[in-house]
Amino acid sequence: MSTMVAGAAFAADLLSGPRPAEWKELREAAEARLAGRELPTMHEEDWKYLDLKPLAALRFGPAPKVAADISGRLLPEMVGTRQVFVNGRHASHASCTSAVPAGVRFFPLSAASEACHALGSVGAGDPRNLFEDLNAARFEDGAVILVPKNMKAALPLHLLFITSAEAPVAVFPRLLVVLERGSELELVEEHHGEGAYLTAPVIEIRVAEGAVLRHERVQRDSMEAFHLGTLRAEVAKGGQYHSRTLSFGARLSRQQPWLRLAEGVEASLDGLALLDGTQVADTHSFIHHAEPHSQSHQLHKCIVDGRARAIFNGQIRVAPRAQGTDAKQQSRNLLLSETARVDTKPQLEIYADDVKCSHGAAVGQLDPEELFYMQSRGLNADDARNLLTYGFAADVIAHVPVASLRRALRQLVMARTQASTLGDLS
Amino acid sequence: MLSIKNLTASINGTPVLKGIDLEIKAGEIHAIMGPNGSGKSTLGKVLAGHPAYEVTGGEVLFEGQNLFEMEADARARAGIFMGFQHPIEVPGVSNASFLRLAYNKKAEAEGRDELDPLEFDDFIHEKIKVVAMREEFLDRSLNEGFSGGEKKRNEILQMAVLEPKLAILDELDSGLDIDALRVLGDAVNKLQRADRALLIITHFPRILETIQPQFVHVLSGGRILKSSGKELAVELEERGYDWVMEEAAAGGAR
Repeated sequence: MSTMVAGAAFAADLLSGPRPAEWKELREAAEARLAGRELPTMHEEDWKYLDLKPLAALRFGPAPKVAADISGRLLPEMVGTRQVFVNGRHASHASCTSAVPAGVRFFPLSAASEACHALGSVGAGDPRNLFEDLNAARFEDGAVILVPKNMKAALPLHLLFITSAEAPVAVFPRLLVVLERGSELELVEEHHGEGAYLTAPVIEIRVAEGAVLRHERVQRDSMEAFHLGTLRAEVAKGGQYHSRTLSFGARLSRQQPWLRLAEGVEASLDGLALLDGTQVADTHSFIHHAEPHSQSHQLHKCIVDGRARAIFNGQIRVAPRAQGTDAKQQSRNLLLSETARVDTKPQLEIYADDVKCSHGAAVGQLDPEELFYMQSRGLNADDARNLLTYGFAADVIAHVPVASLRRALRQLVMARTQASTLGDLS
Repeated sequence: MLSIKNLTASINGTPVLKGIDLEIKAGEIHAIMGPNGSGKSTLGKVLAGHPAYEVTGGEVLFEGQNLFEMEADARARAGIFMGFQHPIEVPGVSNASFLRLAYNKKAEAEGRDELDPLEFDDFIHEKIKVVAMREEFLDRSLNEGFSGGEKKRNEILQMAVLEPKLAILDELDSGLDIDALRVLGDAVNKLQRADRALLIITHFPRILETIQPQFVHVLSGGRILKSSGKELAVELEERGYDWVMEEAAAGGAR
């Protein structure tokens, strides 16, 4: 019972500070749902494998206004198209609001404008998602990004979220990304940080008819951080949404992407988690094929070492009228130690009859036949193992369209898979 | 170069090789033929150092060194190459970077200079001509999505890159059409030198029309039943394997 008490105290603590004035309705609704709420426990089906006790054990204060060093975190393609958020607030000294790809409009929430009214409108919201409600109740800043009709952004937009504090802080970044009909955007979202903190971002995405959003998400939070992220995307007829979430950091992370696909939509929702030590990374995804003839592809890979733990719960729902749906899901997991653990669960709910749905889950070690093949070409056992581990991960990042990001990710993966000694593998 | 004496080996406790004797000298081409399940692929894997097989007796010397004191990777660096019947697909690792890595590991072992990516680029572009491989296959992930023929082409490319002393080619012809077989057979012939030996493992004699061996051995039931010149391949093409086994059985009974 002590965790329940701690949990109740947890939400109340975070709500005890002043409530920002704007978005009163959104905040009040969230507060009403949060009243008396406790942190979820492992008795709840949705949280069966993820123990939030370490989160309950810490007390998080409000985040101080600080300047963060962003050098070394920049991507050369996006020098002029970068927006930085430090401790949940738009850092105007590090990014001016005109630093976006030509034609794309960017509105920080702190400078509230007309465009910001749609906040909280994507998806129905999940009343069970405590962290989404905490965000709605207490977010201080964030942005609305608008890509006008038929505008095809020539450059990617880089969003950098940095959290940095000496004592534990909680930050609630908030984004609304709206692509109008026929528009296109490449969005790179990166999270970095130092020290112990909780970040609970909520990202809402609306892709209008025929629009295309490519979304690269890189989570490199501090190894003491908790990252509990919510993503909601509604994709209208003939639109496309492709995302790739790469989780490297955080002691405990959970990603909850939620997608609603209209007729003829193409979506992909790929993921890679590289975990070591006592890291825990959880992905709970929900893809709703609401209307006919949409496609979704999901490839989720985890490499788990040490005593780390990965969790994947991939729910796909095909509505009765969503005939012609094509849904593919693959969960592939590599265990590098005896004490590493993976729990993977596909969850398909199919209510239409003319559909193509496939799913597969595999958990295992490196294949001895693959190791022998590498060794038969002169690589020693360690090099062979490291190369295959690198390849397992690199497969997910091979198609990242932004070249400098792809290179940076490859190097990160090489370092994490001890493959750096093998030289340039690009 | 290679001296095999009374070699026995088993997998999961089941004997597969039951006493193999074979001498291979530099410059020679040997063919091991036999029906399915005869143990001929096992011989290749045992020589290459596959960990699933247990050597239960006999000895193999490669250039005077005891082969079984070397791990698979050390054998490869010492100059043994096996072309796989079923090459492995490795997503995420480009063919070119894998080839360069393998080349550099061998160069390092031999005290030669390693090649940087640019130098290797020039080097590999000469090598792909030998096997008539298209350039795009260098940038693709190692063997991923390659057809059976493309994988075999890639095996011979690896052989061309690694310049082994002894190349063991396991069922090179499986999955190849006539044209591809001729291209790869010609490539292997071009790579053959006075200081290199070839061991061709095959079920079908067809490939031996292009890569012509001086010695043909028929393996069955884990033993070499008959060894002869290349004319044996022609006879096997015409008559199949049964007569060899009957002859051996009769010989054994006498």
